Amino acid sequence: MSTQSLDRAEAGMAAFEASTSRWGRITMLAGLVLSLIGPIYLVVFGGLDITSGQIWIAFLAVAATFGVFWIVEPLTYFPILGSAAMYQAFMIGNISNKLLPAAIVAQSSIGARPGTKRGDLAAVMAICGAATVHLTSLLIFVGLLGTWLMTRIPPGLIEVARLYILPALMGAVLIQCIATMKQIRPTVIALALALVVQFALVPALPKAAMFATAIVVVCTILASWFLRNRNIDHTAAIEDIPAIQENEVR
Amino acid sequence: MHPLSIHVPAAAGSTDIMAVANSPLVWACALGVFAVIFVQTFIYIKAARRTAPEIGMPAKELSGAFRAGAVASIGPSLAVVLVAIALLALFGTPAVLVRIGLIGSAATETASAGIAATSMGATLGGHDYTQQVFAVAFMAMSLSGGMWMLATLLLTPILKRGGKRLAQVSPAAMAIIPCAALLGAFSMLAIAEMPKSWVHLITLLVSAAVMTGCLLLAKKLHASWLKEWALGFAIIVALAVAFVAHTS
Repeated sequence: MSTQSLDRAEAGMAAFEASTSRWGRITMLAGLVLSLIGPIYLVVFGGLDITSGQIWIAFLAVAATFGVFWIVEPLTYFPILGSAAMYQAFMIGNISNKLLPAAIVAQSSIGARPGTKRGDLAAVMAICGAATVHLTSLLIFVGLLGTWLMTRIPPGLIEVARLYILPALMGAVLIQCIATMKQIRPTVIALALALVVQFALVPALPKAAMFATAIVVVCTILASWFLRNRNIDHTAAIEDIPAIQENEVR
Repeated sequence: MHPLSIHVPAAAGSTDIMAVANSPLVWACALGVFAVIFVQTFIYIKAARRTAPEIGMPAKELSGAFRAGAVASIGPSLAVVLVAIALLALFGTPAVLVRIGLIGSAATETASAGIAATSMGATLGGHDYTQQVFAVAFMAMSLSGGMWMLATLLLTPILKRGGKRLAQVSPAAMAIIPCAALLGAFSMLAIAEMPKSWVHLITLLVSAAVMTGCLLLAKKLHASWLKEWALGFAIIVALAVAFVAHTS
């Protein structure tokens, strides 16, 4: 890539970041306010004799369990999602079981690596596609037909979907992730660290289970950095030239 | 009574959850959240379309990525729909749409509601699950979900500045960090499923095997559509195996 087109690419990405950050923040604030109006209305105007003390106690009980995740999850997913997709992901929800898999599938189908400009745009577009399918299916099957479907779907099916959706998803996504990255060292490091955390650290320190993903993410980043192959010019990936990436990873 | 009060026989002791859970304003707010996300999606697509030519990315790749994301999310979305339907009786449609369908996940939000109900000495769906308990549980779920959004709003700009400086100091780091983070996250999420039960282990292995088969086949036949549908096939086959293993 020539210097001139590289400058143009930088400026283009900067404009993209500025626009998505501004609108991402505005839409997220709107979503936050809307999601709170409903319950506040019920509590204040519902005639249900609810005291502020009851709300505080319930909130503190929930905070004691999930408060750590409020901070840890955004920190864990930022290096993967990038700033533009952060505002989408934390509003749409279901990040690890839907949005990240969608982004990986999209990056692998066009052959772009995460962290590159093409990879970032592909991830954002994939999340847009996932959001469209997700919102539409929720509106139709839960909003419109939900109460009717409730009486039609065999409970056994719901039970199996609820119990086993995560393993059914994660096995496939891990394989696709490994196949897309084509990076042997970080793959071996990540798998080894996950096994150690799951089968050694968590049994010894059950409280660590809450942070398991964050611990493995941070340690994999650090280990991949210090154990990287210094003969490879990693900056090539930043330039977004597929041909160079192909040569680099094989 | 206040003019804004709900025009249904609402009372602290009533267990008619749906009477309050389905009130029009709660419905309007739920649909409002959907509208906001649709608007956000539209703005992001427009921004990506404007940027792609600048970085030399063909428009074909953008629409390809959109389609791949849409296809990949069919399986997980239907799974969320199934779980959401199962929870309708507990929380009513609008609360399920916003809390379980969007923003949070079934596991966290149901747990939050359960914890909030316990703090009032009641259980979800029990005979003591009154309108009052529902409203407090709904409020607690929404506040907790709001804190996730607040943290995202506050942390993202800070992390972005940090990332920019790191990119200047060491471009190689920016090539390694996202890949390593992704591999680390999914290794842990997958391996955490293994010890839950032997059915979990089999489901995980079947899902991984189907994906491996699809990817090899896609490479051999040069069928890129198979890469997009592979995730859906893997989920369906793995869940079918789980169904047989679970019920046998």
